[in-house]
Amino acid sequence: MSHPPDHGVSRRSFLKGSAVAGIATTGITAATKAAAGPPTPDSFGPGEHEITLSVNGAKQRVKVETRTTLLDALRDRMDMTGAKKICDRGACGGCTVLVDDMPTNSCLTLAMDAVGTEVRTVEGLSNGDKTHPLVKNFVTCDALQCGFCTPGMVMSSLACLEKHDKPTPEQMRQDLSGNLCRCGTYGRVMEAIDKTANGGGK
Amino acid sequence: MTTPNPNKPRAVEISVGYKALSPKQKDRIEKIEVNPAEGDAPPWDALTEYKTVGTDVDRTDGIQKATGRAKYAYDINFPDLQQAMILRAPIARGTLKSLFLDEARAMPGITAVVALKKNGNKIRLVGDAVAAVSGKTLDLVRDAIEKIRADYETEQHNVDYLMDEDAPMIDAKGQLDEEWDEDSEVDMALTDATHTHTGTYRTEVQTHSSLETHGNTCRWDGDNLEIWASTQATFGIQGELARGLGAHNINVESVDVHAEFVGGGFGSKFSAGIEGLACALLAHEAKKPVKLMLDRHEEHTAAGNRPSALMQVRGGIDKDGKITAWDWRSFGGCGYNGRGGAVRYPNYYMNGAATRRKHKDIACDTDPARSMRAPGYPQGWFGAEMFLDELAAKASMDPLAFRLKNDSEAMRHDQWQFAADKFGWDKARAKKNDPNERYVTGVGCASARWGQLGRHGGRRQRYGMTCRIHPDGMVEARNGSQDIGTGLKTVLQILTAEELGIPASRVRAITGHTADPLGPASGGSTTTPSIAPAVRHAAFLAKNELIALVADHLGVPKKNVTCANGKVGTKDASLDFTEACKLVGQTPIEVHGERFPNYRDKPFHPGVCGVQFAEVRVDTWTGEVQVTRMFGIQDCGLVIAKKLAESQVIGAMIQGVSYAIHEQRIMDQRSGRMLNGDFLRYKITGSKDLPDIECHMHSVANGHNNTGAAGLGEPPSTATAAAIGNAVFHAIGAPVRHIPITPEKVLAAIASK
Repeated sequence: MSHPPDHGVSRRSFLKGSAVAGIATTGITAATKAAAGPPTPDSFGPGEHEITLSVNGAKQRVKVETRTTLLDALRDRMDMTGAKKICDRGACGGCTVLVDDMPTNSCLTLAMDAVGTEVRTVEGLSNGDKTHPLVKNFVTCDALQCGFCTPGMVMSSLACLEKHDKPTPEQMRQDLSGNLCRCGTYGRVMEAIDKTANGGGK
Repeated sequence: MTTPNPNKPRAVEISVGYKALSPKQKDRIEKIEVNPAEGDAPPWDALTEYKTVGTDVDRTDGIQKATGRAKYAYDINFPDLQQAMILRAPIARGTLKSLFLDEARAMPGITAVVALKKNGNKIRLVGDAVAAVSGKTLDLVRDAIEKIRADYETEQHNVDYLMDEDAPMIDAKGQLDEEWDEDSEVDMALTDATHTHTGTYRTEVQTHSSLETHGNTCRWDGDNLEIWASTQATFGIQGELARGLGAHNINVESVDVHAEFVGGGFGSKFSAGIEGLACALLAHEAKKPVKLMLDRHEEHTAAGNRPSALMQVRGGIDKDGKITAWDWRSFGGCGYNGRGGAVRYPNYYMNGAATRRKHKDIACDTDPARSMRAPGYPQGWFGAEMFLDELAAKASMDPLAFRLKNDSEAMRHDQWQFAADKFGWDKARAKKNDPNERYVTGVGCASARWGQLGRHGGRRQRYGMTCRIHPDGMVEARNGSQDIGTGLKTVLQILTAEELGIPASRVRAITGHTADPLGPASGGSTTTPSIAPAVRHAAFLAKNELIALVADHLGVPKKNVTCANGKVGTKDASLDFTEACKLVGQTPIEVHGERFPNYRDKPFHPGVCGVQFAEVRVDTWTGEVQVTRMFGIQDCGLVIAKKLAESQVIGAMIQGVSYAIHEQRIMDQRSGRMLNGDFLRYKITGSKDLPDIECHMHSVANGHNNTGAAGLGEPPSTATAAAIGNAVFHAIGAPVRHIPITPEKVLAAIASK
């Protein structure tokens, strides 16, 4: 069994797979990086390989199969259950994490494709007593009910705020359009984004 | 205070009703006499001044949810946790002939394989559970599932209830094409009516689409099962699992259920289901903890739904616009068990009219119905409220004026007028669309109704609450029911804080573990109204114990001591609440509160009322409908957590938008499968479909128990689709009588004008 280097994995075998459309954004980013790295074997698997993922600024070694998604790696192998598995098909945004600042469906991203990238999850927005203003504003605006879509909403909202200083309602709707909520919190999520953009929650 | 006589409940006079909604209206407050149970907390009423109740307290578990720290059933991990999946039948109707599990069992990483059907068992739908597998990872489990061989004998199936031989005929215009049975009273009323009308209305199957799928994590310790379940009935599934496992000859000493966080339910999660039983069986066989969560396709196809409905109404009004005849027949499009399709309609409009109501459920080979947020209401309200607008149009009456003429619930009259002003009804209704414009707008309205004031307990035991006052000043409120996103924990926190006169942040509310006192399932919008009086009773008892300690400490009579505004004592000498709590000593004060039955006296209002207004913009070229604006007013008895209550009402309206214009289960008659069993093709309302929504909570003192909370989750979902349907009718001048109101139906309606 071959062992992939930490900083890059051959893309060829994966990009031919059926999940290509959904991972296009991250796939290309990671592929570009991989191309710049040292020579890599042509294929991996079956079985598990140890890789290193950089999540919320910390490097973590984790064993995954080539088919293991980033979402499963985070949830099942690293016990980071903030990102949620809701549709597992890139339709709901519940698993949204930022991969190199880009909001990404972690259910459509292979864990190995995230090697060499910087992954940010909802867990990274709170640390002990420190909590990101956006997260606080989600609570004060009651931008959540059952809370199951919330971590994904928070990450898409964060990406929206990183993209726009003062997002307009149209920009918010656009950036939240990949996230589904069954309880109906969209309006209050937009309030939380707006409040954060205006300095609330600090 | 007089000495209570245990044989005779003391009568107390309280004020019930509500303050005026607008300066144009009057307060509606009246006195009634009630008989609280001995030892219960004294009733709050319409004149009570609250410190915390009804304010914008933050959701107490919001921070756990928003940081990702909240652990749902889906998130429970153990070092040796096994993942699991269910093999589901690919045929809609038939018999399982043979099932070979050995090859799956021998696959790498597999720890348990159980059969959920025996040879000869019936298959009732595509997606019927056949076997379940657990293993080290979900990928390995999927590999093993593929190795199971199951053979079936297929039978002819039907997945369209309208194709059933019991189904009525529908003509080319979509009207139900069957003779009405004779009914002398209704027939005479129709003959005498000034205007009559007949309309056929249809709704489609809606899936609950809770974002956390059904499922659980199970762990055995000897004969004791511990389960983390995505459930709306922690106590309900205890017995269900014990019985189910017993039928598999597994000895069960206890079932300990956790559901501290639940990712939605909307009525679909009362039962542990086959996924609960399968998970417990796998964990038993694997001798390791097992997690079994349904995937999204299973959730859409085998976890319940709101059944479809076909309704026909004929009615008549007199020259004053009063409804005199109302003849209703409806059919529910159900799953294989042929149950759960009953439809209700707003009967407060036809008081005094000759009425008849008939209903029939029709079965087909699909997933059975489960209760969904006001079961039977949004369907029936859509049919009835649209019919009202069509009837009003025949009499050239404004739909709101028509409703005011016929609505027999006085409270809603205030709501109609208040909401119409807020929404700008008169102006919006008077606006004429230019026939040459591509985009047209319209407005519509509909009423909401629900009838839950809470229950006092199950068959054997009353609901209860534990309240603890810790020596460090922290107060704990515990009940074993689940908070499925409705805000139950925050309700516990607010009520306890109010009773003790402390800020909400001093109270820790804990729900969702069956080790705590009995509470109801989250159904019928009864959780808050059922538990709230017990919360108060527990806090009241705890307060009295603290008062006794402080009275002792200060050397004053107990009756002179109050616990309010963060202080415990008399007006001359008092302690800060935290100081007072130090008198508790090492062991916290712990009391058990009880849910007494509702006062027998007639409440101010037997249920809850609401109204909703909607504005739509229709693209007459494409037929696309956009809901642009909504206003809702909703009563829920005492409004406890205002911000959360508003969230729930707004959320119900968004779900209603979804029901009215987006959602539809599409079945393939040939294969018996659901064609859109995922979130890509089963569309629910998203951020870009979001109307501008405003809601107003109407706090009403009903005087039915010490707190007076009433149901909230379901009532606002009754009205929305109907209000939108009416707005589309207004916009395009022709009714679309079949939801979802898709572009093709809109274009057909425009063409039919």
